[in-house]
Amino acid sequence: MTPTPPDPTRPTPPDPGNGTGPAQDTTTPALSGTGNGTGHPRNTAMPAPSGTTTDTGPARPGTDHGTDGTHPGGSGGPGHPTTPPGQGTGTTSTALTRAQLWTRARGFLLAVAVLLTAAVALAGLQAGDHHGRLDPRSADPDGSRALAQLLKERGVTTRVVTDAQEAAAAAGPGTTLLVADPDLLGEPQRRAIRSAIDLSGGRTVLVAPGSPALPELAPAAHAKGFAHQRDLDPGTPACTLPSAGTAGRAGTGDGLRYTTDLPGATGCYPSGGHPTLLVLPSTTKGGDTVLLGSETFLLNKRLADEGNASLALQLLGSRPELVWYLPTPADMSADPGTDAQDPSLLDLVPAGWTWALLQLFFAAALAALWRARRLGPLVTEDLPVAIRASEATEGHARLYRRADARDRAATVLRAAARERLAPLVGVPAPQAHDPAALVPAVSARLTAGGRPSDPAALLFGTTPADDAALVALADHLDALEREVRSS
Amino acid sequence: MALTGRAALLAALGSVPVGLLGPSWTGLLAVNGSLALACAVDYALAAPVRTLKPARSGATSVRLGEPADVHLTLTNPGTRTLRADVRDAWPPSSWTPGTEAAASRHSLTVPAGERRRLTTRLRPTRRGDRRADRITIRSYGPLRLLARQGSHTVPWTVRVLPPFTSRKHLPSRLARLRELDGRTSVLTRGEGTEFDSLRDYVPGDDTRSIDWRATARRNKVAVRTWRPERDRHILICLDTGRTAAGRVGDAPRLDSAMDAALLLAALATRAGDRVDLLAHDRRPRAQVQGRSAADTLPAFVNAMAGLEPALVETDSRALVSTILRGAPRRSLVVLLTSLDAAPIEEGLLPLLPRLTQRHTVILASVADPHIAEMAASRGSLDAVYEAAAATRTGSQRLRTAEQLSRHGVHVVDATPDTLAPALADAYLSLKAAGRL
Repeated sequence: MTPTPPDPTRPTPPDPGNGTGPAQDTTTPALSGTGNGTGHPRNTAMPAPSGTTTDTGPARPGTDHGTDGTHPGGSGGPGHPTTPPGQGTGTTSTALTRAQLWTRARGFLLAVAVLLTAAVALAGLQAGDHHGRLDPRSADPDGSRALAQLLKERGVTTRVVTDAQEAAAAAGPGTTLLVADPDLLGEPQRRAIRSAIDLSGGRTVLVAPGSPALPELAPAAHAKGFAHQRDLDPGTPACTLPSAGTAGRAGTGDGLRYTTDLPGATGCYPSGGHPTLLVLPSTTKGGDTVLLGSETFLLNKRLADEGNASLALQLLGSRPELVWYLPTPADMSADPGTDAQDPSLLDLVPAGWTWALLQLFFAAALAALWRARRLGPLVTEDLPVAIRASEATEGHARLYRRADARDRAATVLRAAARERLAPLVGVPAPQAHDPAALVPAVSARLTAGGRPSDPAALLFGTTPADDAALVALADHLDALEREVRSS
Repeated sequence: MALTGRAALLAALGSVPVGLLGPSWTGLLAVNGSLALACAVDYALAAPVRTLKPARSGATSVRLGEPADVHLTLTNPGTRTLRADVRDAWPPSSWTPGTEAAASRHSLTVPAGERRRLTTRLRPTRRGDRRADRITIRSYGPLRLLARQGSHTVPWTVRVLPPFTSRKHLPSRLARLRELDGRTSVLTRGEGTEFDSLRDYVPGDDTRSIDWRATARRNKVAVRTWRPERDRHILICLDTGRTAAGRVGDAPRLDSAMDAALLLAALATRAGDRVDLLAHDRRPRAQVQGRSAADTLPAFVNAMAGLEPALVETDSRALVSTILRGAPRRSLVVLLTSLDAAPIEEGLLPLLPRLTQRHTVILASVADPHIAEMAASRGSLDAVYEAAAATRTGSQRLRTAEQLSRHGVHVVDATPDTLAPALADAYLSLKAAGRL
């Protein structure tokens, strides 16, 4: 045998059973077969084996890797399947071929097509016959086209406006202004309507104004609970409104009720003592404000019931022109007051540069695309289990702590100390836990060392009374052991 | 398809002519249209990725902690020059954390019809097989505005073998083995059963070994020497159950056990014994049997490379019967498991007589130095409770070890760095005592 054994620790190839040749790990694919040198550093460029551009044989499909004869097993052992020689182009590529792409995408495309068709068909079926509630152009059950038609036949022109300014401008002594949903109005819109009420001298009909709108538009009236019946009687003799008398019972209920203490106000169709229709005189000559607790009797579906049509025609047809104001979200957002005073940043930029800014946004989008594209997907891997071997012991310690197991801890520490001390003082191991044997032996060593302490209480004492005593016990046991060792 | 930063930069610079010369849709269209045209031309001039032919070569196995170079040859069969960024993707544990991005990415240019070789240097951080993921190639056009991107899959596996750090202990143990063998002049002697030779008595020799008959025939006192037994059978059993998964320091118990097993195997093959390996939890995970001395260690590291601890309780009954099947005649059975009380007392202890009646058994266990640290911690309440828990664990291990010893099992309980030499020493002392 040689004095130094051959190193049996050399990295070894996978076992032959795995099918890899024994020389596999030392095989360097000498692609530079024409003698360019073999020790290529990383990323070194290498010309094709022929070294000429005319013969690019190895690069051609069909001429396999084996053409450089210095590549023993270069096509990979069975354990490491590389591209088999002579394989066609693109076989290692993970990109989908057109046929695969079509196979995969066609289901999705079909689903998209079906969805689009369905959406278009549905939209086509429903187009045109759906409008907003209380819209005089809508023939829906919830629209008001029937009323507008009836008014038209009686020579009242209905004009739909969606803008508060426009509504206020259109209002005049010869107009009725209907505000469809006063609660939706913003502050500037309410101001505009208020000025119309105050200045126009015509009639203003507020449909179901609630507590948000009332203080501004009709400060004299207050909402007072809810009318639960749908059809109500005019409520003579308190109701002096002629229209109510002619119309008789009508569907003004199922909405809000109002009270007022304004002299000259007329309340009709009371429910539980409070009117659901209130006529307030205006400060201007000839003008008045009508509060309707509910809009239902104006709708197509209810117009033919009871005296609804009569009441509606008389209320809205008293002036030759009807301005029907339907608030829209666009109207709400427009805020002419602040817009003029506080120009935005875009207004301050010179006109041409907003286009440049647009181009910059486009560039930012390109940059985002540039950064977003990953060079290949993430590679996943199973992680190994990470459990500390001492975890159970640590958990045990925490359990002791939570349970305040001073007795257990003290017992364990004392037993361990006794077992360590016994051989030091010459007590046989089986007698280590016997006070009669251990304590005298330990005491004898201590007096010899000249440091009296109480080994009996330390080694066989009672449970420590509190946490500090336990910590002290551990320290004292250590001290005792040190003394015995050093004596 | 992939955009480049250059395209985004050009688009950003394009805001100047848009702002100065053509603040309109026309201006925007002119700038972006020309940019799009340039991109399209660039894309058309970039070498296609799909037709590239990648091939791998290089290292197929490596020891844990050492680098492995895997080569990737990119052949460009087309008529356009390939200017590309290449990412050779491997699982994350193929590199030390933080260096993956630099290690896996390469830039290269391959003229039409030629090929180039890239070298990806792996530094695996864990044992086991590392399988190459895809190769992603981003092929730029000459303007570097827009790139083609695609991937290729070229399978390659690098097997990461156990590091065998304990091989540094091998020379000293081999020296002791030679002493046992009577090959040196030191006065230690194998007490085997095989008669070796007679030699002159030297003071210090055991008087019981004096051969009186031979002494009578010559005028000097002669002693007999025996050679330690050779050609004994050793079966190393790795327990890959849940107790092997616990980490001691930074490595699982299993890795330390493997290290010890490798040192023992290296030593025993050198001593002329035959060594087999069995890894077992609920079922056999790896088995190496009947290899020649030269072939044993390679076969061992290979079998161990892919072993991972399974989070199941080891089936001791199946383990014992597999051992008995694998060792029909008298053997040294080395069980590398843990000394935790519950698995031993409930699983192994009742079955031990079946093993010990025919075989010599060593049970080697990886002790946790952290338990010893905890046992010595003092000063605060938490520390004292920790000390109590650690002391309790320690005494339980001791008790388990005593129980095993009563059954005639040799117990080796050592921390990861000392387990391998301790196990080798236990083997040597058994060999010296002729008890194999």
